[in-house]
Amino acid sequence: MIQNKEQWLEEASRKIKVPKELIARAFHEELEGNPAIDAPLEVPDIMDITYKYTYGGISRFFRELRDNQQLYGTKCTTCGTVWLPPRINCNECYAPTTWVKLGDTARIVTYTIVYYATSVFYGKTPYVCAFVKVDGADTLIMQNVFLKDVRQAKVGMKLKIQFKENRNGDMGDFWFVPAQEAL
Amino acid sequence: MNKVGIVGIGTTQFKARWIDKTYYELAYDAAKLALEDAGIGKKDVGGVVYGIYNEFFERQFMPDVYIHNYIGMGGKPSVRVATGGATGGAAVFVAWSWIAAGLYDTVMVLGVEKATDNYNYTVGHPTPETLKAILFSGDMTFENPMGLTAAASYALPLIAHINKYGTPTERQMAMVSVKNHKNAMNNPIAQSPKLLTVDDVLNSKMITYPFKFYDNCLYSEGASAIILASEDKAKALTDNPAWISGVGLSLDKAFAGERDDMTIFTSSQYAGRDAYAMAGIKHPRTELDFAELHDAFTGAEILSYEAFNLCGPGGGGALIEDGVVEMTGDLPVSPSGGLIGCGHAVGATGVMQTGEAALQVQGRADKRQVKNARVGLVQSIGGPATAWTAAMIIERIDTVKAKPAAQKKARRPGTRRT
Ligand SMILES: [Zn+2]
Repeated sequence: MIQNKEQWLEEASRKIKVPKELIARAFHEELEGNPAIDAPLEVPDIMDITYKYTYGGISRFFRELRDNQQLYGTKCTTCGTVWLPPRINCNECYAPTTWVKLGDTARIVTYTIVYYATSVFYGKTPYVCAFVKVDGADTLIMQNVFLKDVRQAKVGMKLKIQFKENRNGDMGDFWFVPAQEAL
Repeated sequence: MNKVGIVGIGTTQFKARWIDKTYYELAYDAAKLALEDAGIGKKDVGGVVYGIYNEFFERQFMPDVYIHNYIGMGGKPSVRVATGGATGGAAVFVAWSWIAAGLYDTVMVLGVEKATDNYNYTVGHPTPETLKAILFSGDMTFENPMGLTAAASYALPLIAHINKYGTPTERQMAMVSVKNHKNAMNNPIAQSPKLLTVDDVLNSKMITYPFKFYDNCLYSEGASAIILASEDKAKALTDNPAWISGVGLSLDKAFAGERDDMTIFTSSQYAGRDAYAMAGIKHPRTELDFAELHDAFTGAEILSYEAFNLCGPGGGGALIEDGVVEMTGDLPVSPSGGLIGCGHAVGATGVMQTGEAALQVQGRADKRQVKNARVGLVQSIGGPATAWTAAMIIERIDTVKAKPAAQKKARRPGTRRT
């Protein structure tokens, strides 16, 4: 039996970063019941690592997004393929690429609508995830498309890029909306 | 290459949660069942290949090393395979190669997964946290932040396919769900045996367009082990081994936006092509007696019919509509219930499916036995947008096959024919 329930809840809450009430609810039987000595015993836990990671050779892509609201791809110096997501070399030619400015229009090649999301996106459903072809790029990039009604999503739908007001230098800095809605 | 047989099969119950077992206790149970089925002891095992998908599920990196210890295999050769949803199938592939190369006589494949020790305290349920754990498999810079889910990863190629061919329809997908839930009723280890109607599926709540609740497999916990053996060893152990007569493995472009054609499960096409070639199968639609496919989502099963050349592009929906893939049809798909009916204990799934196929060709599949099952296909899919596929042909070679189409050439397993 847990000796000091309040202290156990406080320690658990600090450890797994979940409010005490929710932990108390999840562990109701262990806290308030009288489970047998050999009944399965569950414990709260979390796996948590912090990072300071590098974008390496494609750092410029994220600086252009963050500082200049500009989408860039990279062009293979040998076959001319324009990559988006960008890469600093080509996996067909094993040759370097150079940076190229891309347009601000795109279209949906395929999409889906997420109604049941991971913990991270809890409360944000439904939303559209799509592979879009940005004008000027040869490959597709995965991005969110924001629509007044998610059911309007269609293959071939014309899109326009929109940038977040306070940008962080990550993929959340931009998204797409239907071309006719963007002014 | 040496012939490779399957001589022992053991699978625990697949269920939502094994609250009374850790992952290594579950792994032990499957190992014990498989050894007993083979009639051998752990001392007879030359090495073990582990199939375990997700570190965050197990709450442990390198979980295989603790299982190897726990099941008393210390000192023996071992490697872990982690290829997403295809983990179990790829583990079979690796174990097959060890015996085909003549390294060992007897190899255990042991797949296990504890998927629901994850827990979302807000919802009071594991699933959103399990999905979060999976999404660390999406590219962390470009795809993870977009809120993709495993279902979305399958829905993207599916919507492209529907846009091009008009199929599969939501009704055809629902029919796959009805079939696999129903097949599971004949499988004592299944998690979701159910008699559903097409309307039940169509009216269930939307999860990820176009997949409704019953179009999805559920997360399962469970373990499955099979014992592979060289030809001499297999014949010494049993007069009724199943043979792995063909294998194929493919990893397509994980950034699916680079693919030439989003409407095909290319990795399945390539893995199937290689497995068919090795087994000498030219006309899979008539030569195969059954298949255990990776129906993580109903639409995936239908696109897999096409990738494995059981029909032409866009023809998958008709196979379910015409009843071909039902237990009563001439090419039953997933008699076990598949991932939707039996369950998806990720690392264990492909091992379970391979074991199921072996039981079929050995005539040991009880109520789910396909009549005269001699040749079966196993598919194990994983990775972003079905990037990975492992495919295996499992067959029985004691007599000439019953189907005339397959009699054109005598075949020996393990012999590549081009
Ligand atoms: Zn190039």
